[in-house]
Amino acid sequence: MKTEDLIAQLAQNAKPVRRALPPGALTARWLLVTLPVLAVMVLVMGPRPHLLALLMQPRFATAEILAAATTVISAYAAFCAGRPDEPGWKLLMPVAAFLLWLAELGRQCFVLAVQTNGAALELHADWICVPAIAITALMPAVAMVWLLRRSAKFRTTHACLCGAMAAAAAAELALPLFHAADTMMMVLVWQMGSVALFTMLGALAARLGLTALHA
Amino acid sequence: MSDEDPNWRVWLAAAQDGDARAYARLLAAALPWLRRRARARWPGSSAADIEDIVQETLLALHQNRHLYDPDRPAQPFLFGIMKLRGADVRRHRQRHSGRETAIDDISPDAGALMTRDTQEQDADQHRVMDALAGLGARDRQVLEMLKLRELSLKEAEAETGLSISALKVASFRAMQRLKQALKGGSDEN
Repeated sequence: MKTEDLIAQLAQNAKPVRRALPPGALTARWLLVTLPVLAVMVLVMGPRPHLLALLMQPRFATAEILAAATTVISAYAAFCAGRPDEPGWKLLMPVAAFLLWLAELGRQCFVLAVQTNGAALELHADWICVPAIAITALMPAVAMVWLLRRSAKFRTTHACLCGAMAAAAAAELALPLFHAADTMMMVLVWQMGSVALFTMLGALAARLGLTALHA
Repeated sequence: MSDEDPNWRVWLAAAQDGDARAYARLLAAALPWLRRRARARWPGSSAADIEDIVQETLLALHQNRHLYDPDRPAQPFLFGIMKLRGADVRRHRQRHSGRETAIDDISPDAGALMTRDTQEQDADQHRVMDALAGLGARDRQVLEMLKLRELSLKEAEAETGLSISALKVASFRAMQRLKQALKGGSDEN
């Protein structure tokens, strides 16, 4: 078919369309769903004793702030990924945020290991982290796929990876509020490992979910 | 991309609202620009490939025009679609090119067209079997014993009751008729 004929056909089919919300507005909507889910999860599971005092500790607060930053940045990047006019560097922002978060946890682990003569490096099985992250991240992940259904028309795999990371990071933001890890190494391996695992599997499920919604 | 015609974003926003004339104006204005940008981005591509990329871009624009934000310029939106769809088209071409062979310039009997190692041998065998089936019963019996089963004349004599000299004459005549049949078959082809 000649391109000029294609243009004539496309112009004839110019039906009105509903404009998609910009990435910032979609991120705000996703947070409106996700934050109450996290609050309910913390209340249901039972907040840790002396939570306010814990939040005042710089070490704990820094990790939580970095988790929150990774959550928001990943969600924003997920909504940017499907837009053709958004630059590629925005899709790398979640990686930078996650690495920064991981580096801070690693630094804390190292400092505590030195202070406690290696006690912070102790590691044993803590299987509760895996289902806790998965259950807490489930609703945010479903909300993410629902909000992505109209906007993730390009770079869909990137959008799903960023979206799954946002949901997993949100779950990891809530997890320390109701579940105490015994050592920093436990946080690094079990909690962050669960985040990485959920990101991979969640992205795969989200890709399948979006394909089904687009079909 | 800073020299964008301000009409483009007006037309694209109007197209989102269903204005067919504005949409047609935008597509007509964007076509040469898209071709130029595609040629600059993929200079090694053929004219047909460039046209494919432009058409894919126009189709993707049509399907995703709801993603355009009228507060932003239109050219980065169009160029972004072209970059992503163009990469898809080229990836698709490269993935399939390894499994495709252009056969226009290859002679029909070239080895490149063989799908099996025994293809020619199988075809020859098939022709011989067809020619054999067209011979008389006596000719077939003689050829089968002496040429296919490779019996000796004495063994054939014992099996058929014909004399050795009669078998030699029958074999010679059967071979002549078989050659004739094969020749006739190739003439038909």
